[in-house]
Amino acid sequence: MSSSNTETATVDIVMPQMGVSVSEGTIVGWRKQVGDWVEYEEPVCDISTDKIDTELPSPAAGRLAEIAVDVGTTVEVGTLLARIATDARPGEPHASEHDGEREPSAPPTSEAAAATGETPAPSTDAPAPEPGVAAPDGDEGRARRRYSPVVMRMAAEHDVDLAQIRGTGRGGRVRKQDVLAHLEHGAAAAPAAPDPPLHIESPYRPEPAPAPRAAPDAPAPGPAPQPEARVATPVPTGHGEPLSRMRKSIGEHMKRSLELAAHCTTMVECDMSAAERRRALIGTTALPIVARCVVDALREFPALNAWLEGDTFTQHDGVHLGIAVSLGEDGLIVPVVRDAQDLSDEGLGRRIRELAQRARGRALTPDDVRGGTFTITNPGQFGAVAATPIISQPQVAILDLEAVVKRAVVITDADGNDAIAIRPMTMLCMSWDHRAIDGAYAARFLTAVRRRVESV
Amino acid sequence: MAMSTARHEPGENPSAVSEHLTLDDRVALLKYMLLMRGIEERAMNLYRQGRVPGSFYDGYGQEAVSAGATFAMSAQDRLCVLHRDLAAHLIRGVTPARILGQYMGREGGITGGRDGNVHFGDHRVGCVGMVSMLPDMMLVATGMAMAFKLRGEARCAITWFGDGSTSRGDFHEAMNWAGVQRLPVIFILENNQYAYSTPLHHQFAVDPVERAQAYGFPGISVDGNDADAMFEATRQARERALAGEGPTLLEAVTMRMHGHAAHDDMKYVPTEQVEEWRKKDPIDRQEARLRDLGVDTEAVRSAVRATIDAATEEALAMPMPDPATATDRVFYEGEEDVLLGDGNAPWSGHAGGGGGA
Amino acid sequence: MAAMTYLQAISDAMRQEMRQDERVLVMGEDIGVFGGAFKVTDGFLDEFGPSRVMDTPLAESGIIGSAIGAAVVGLRPIAEMQFADVITGGFDQHVSVAGKMYYRQGLPVNITVRLPSGGGFSGGPFHSSNPEAWFMHAPGLKVVAPSTAEDAKGLLIGAVRDHNPVVFLEHKHLYRRVKGDVPEGLYTTPFRARVAREGTDMTIVTYGAMVHTALEATEDLDGASVEVLDLRSLVPLDEEAILASVRKTSKVLVLDEANQTCAAGAQVAALIADRAFEDLDGPVRRVATPDVPIPFSPPLEQAVLPSVDRVKEAARELLEY
Repeated sequence: MSSSNTETATVDIVMPQMGVSVSEGTIVGWRKQVGDWVEYEEPVCDISTDKIDTELPSPAAGRLAEIAVDVGTTVEVGTLLARIATDARPGEPHASEHDGEREPSAPPTSEAAAATGETPAPSTDAPAPEPGVAAPDGDEGRARRRYSPVVMRMAAEHDVDLAQIRGTGRGGRVRKQDVLAHLEHGAAAAPAAPDPPLHIESPYRPEPAPAPRAAPDAPAPGPAPQPEARVATPVPTGHGEPLSRMRKSIGEHMKRSLELAAHCTTMVECDMSAAERRRALIGTTALPIVARCVVDALREFPALNAWLEGDTFTQHDGVHLGIAVSLGEDGLIVPVVRDAQDLSDEGLGRRIRELAQRARGRALTPDDVRGGTFTITNPGQFGAVAATPIISQPQVAILDLEAVVKRAVVITDADGNDAIAIRPMTMLCMSWDHRAIDGAYAARFLTAVRRRVESV
Repeated sequence: MAMSTARHEPGENPSAVSEHLTLDDRVALLKYMLLMRGIEERAMNLYRQGRVPGSFYDGYGQEAVSAGATFAMSAQDRLCVLHRDLAAHLIRGVTPARILGQYMGREGGITGGRDGNVHFGDHRVGCVGMVSMLPDMMLVATGMAMAFKLRGEARCAITWFGDGSTSRGDFHEAMNWAGVQRLPVIFILENNQYAYSTPLHHQFAVDPVERAQAYGFPGISVDGNDADAMFEATRQARERALAGEGPTLLEAVTMRMHGHAAHDDMKYVPTEQVEEWRKKDPIDRQEARLRDLGVDTEAVRSAVRATIDAATEEALAMPMPDPATATDRVFYEGEEDVLLGDGNAPWSGHAGGGGGA
Repeated sequence: MAAMTYLQAISDAMRQEMRQDERVLVMGEDIGVFGGAFKVTDGFLDEFGPSRVMDTPLAESGIIGSAIGAAVVGLRPIAEMQFADVITGGFDQHVSVAGKMYYRQGLPVNITVRLPSGGGFSGGPFHSSNPEAWFMHAPGLKVVAPSTAEDAKGLLIGAVRDHNPVVFLEHKHLYRRVKGDVPEGLYTTPFRARVAREGTDMTIVTYGAMVHTALEATEDLDGASVEVLDLRSLVPLDEEAILASVRKTSKVLVLDEANQTCAAGAQVAALIADRAFEDLDGPVRRVATPDVPIPFSPPLEQAVLPSVDRVKEAARELLEY
């Protein structure tokens, strides 16, 4: 993937061949700018191919001397993408730099830039930081990364690479909230202002829109329960752009499902008080708790844990639970928790987090997204109270968890007295395939889920 | 009663012999003084054998002060005992074995090893252990008396303190408070001539017994080396207290015949002074008195020796406290009240119901 | 429920407990005829008489020492120091006698010593102290410090009933400024912390008057969710409540009105460093009065006592950390 040119002390970076059938690749983004210091194996750019999206690690340490291919451009395998000047030294100004203002001892670190994929301002324009005052987002601020005890502990517990997290604390410090956000959303950035507590639990968050990139080479991209929300998202106007590979793939899949299945949607209202308590107890979001209840209910209603392929209806023994993970504006993907019936709610929580992280890191394998028997999608954080999701084929149902909202509800005590109470409520919305089951079955299933959720 | 300051030179007052003591009472007084001296001598030997940790203090030569005074107190009276007053504990009913166990830091000692040497009081027999900040206990005794008066009880509190204690503020606060409220409390100033190495003339310009009058109650100087005299003076002070006539300061004039503690060779005390006081030894005097009355005091002595030997064995058999309990018992979280209990009151006047309590 | 000031709640606690338990008496300087320097015992003399509402000589050691004596023979004295500052005169009795008695000889000393504490009104160096840390450091004494009227009553009744010597810190600044619903009748408040306000982003651990300062400072702090933990009891210290809050928020500001060095908050900070290290997402910050006597002149006093603004500033720094 590279060739060395010792005479000019540069190393070339070329478009790699990512699989035998791959002939071309697209630059998704540059993580480094000309003049930036690059460590050996530090990601320099992200590329997208037919098979896989990946980052491109530098073949050598040095300064990025030249970028030959712009973002969005597709080039053939073997094309020169960039050059690394290997005779440069950290801290020394690059030949292209004409001032000495950059703090010599603080080169941009590999991990900082790699973590965010952001492109720091050209160093020639960067003013020297004030002593003791770290720039909130600049690479200077993150050059001396130290982590608080709780952040270190969480990173160890959840196997998180802290370098992958963009800090929002003073001087770009990674805070507990950032790790939590990373665990929950796999997102690069955590919002500064917290959302209402009951809503931030959703693992799905909008992200800053990165450059369009293709979906991984995986079958059956997940459903789009709120296509209208995405369509309604304001798109920067001024010039047309082709749909991303992932968007196209999702669109085709959704349309095919709507054509194929006899979609019906059933909704049941559910009191989340108990789930909230349980959630606080085990320190997860509500999702794994509900998921655990769904798995239990599926064992009771096996016709919903099934595939309908043509005339063949297959009820599965194990529950392989698809969990829709948003990839921001790019789309979404549905990794599968295999044999979910064997996991506790805590175990489910861990597994979901881990899958979501890998989805964010574009690190899912084809096996991770294959073979789901039932899907849960959970876009509740946007505040919608109901939706009609589209079934992921060849499954026969998809459950949509919507916002948990405090509502005045009528409760009845043991003596049969009615009273009005404030309860965190949510709507369990399930789209199901009338070819496979009938409405009563769906309603009974949802009621069973509700009963479990309300008594966890 | 008129306020007065009475002065008697030690050893010169045959009339101090009380009319309220039977022969058995006097034998008992001898026995308690012998027990005190014998236990302390045994403890000093244990100390020299390395079996008593820390420091060791005794009341050699001062046995009559606590024996005589405590003998006058009723079961319901309450005591705050000083470190040279071992006879007080013995009279109230603390066994010699528990005292020796206390010295050796054993679990079976009165404080279970939590406090050392003579810093103890068995609350079950109405005694509060002293603290090293002298004379803090004067105020505690004052508070006890305050409670007795408030509840209208015919009871009395008593406390001992030394000549050095009279220099501290708590002496003044207690004397004043007790005087103002005319409380049933007996203050026994144990004037043993030295506060550690400090002689009286460095401690005060006016003998503290003179001060009592200024606080509004009598101060009486007593031969502190005469058990009979100590008993009688205390008995009278107690009568005053129970009659609502307020506190009394008794100055027990005595001599500390040993150093302040086991480590003190007392070289600052003139030899002649010690020899002079040796002639007034309280045990010798009580023994002589009883021999004159035909009592076989040697039998008393041998009984006491046997008691101490047995107690020593018992104490040496006591286990040391469990280190795991060192942080236990900082706070009392039980339900029941734990208060001072009644102690023994062996004086025939109480045993016959004439003690007034 | 009745609306009462903090001071009225303290009076109510003593009055009601004295009515139902004849062992309880109050003693102190000028508490009888005059009703106390702050009128906490106003009217008590008429109701309970001079033997149970005892005007004592001006003798702090005498007050505490005689309270100890009365306690070990069965009374339950409540001793008032006219100002918390003057406890220095009774320190020896308190610490040497009362604090160690139960450990030494198994004899609990049921006394309650009320300390009108705190500054903020030009009381100067001898009428403004917060001496609680001295007693936290002395084994055998319990130390409580209410911030609300309801807790003032419940903690005081609890102190009187507790078999151990209890130091009861009543903040003078709260006497008539804090008012709240107080349950009627007799009740005790456990010697444990309470969450004065729930929050998720940061915890302020404090007690006494500073609870109100903390609440005010973080009522609307850039939308941050700040938990305020009111310790209520300093001995025993509710360690689990502190640790639970730290686990939740991972950031802690410890707020004392007392002089900074070795204050209650220092113990809290040490506890967190020891047992919640791996839950911390920032340094444990402290706001306290610097180690100076409390000055008299208003600008000087305001310069040293923790203010709403100082707390805000420290909280913001920590939140942004």
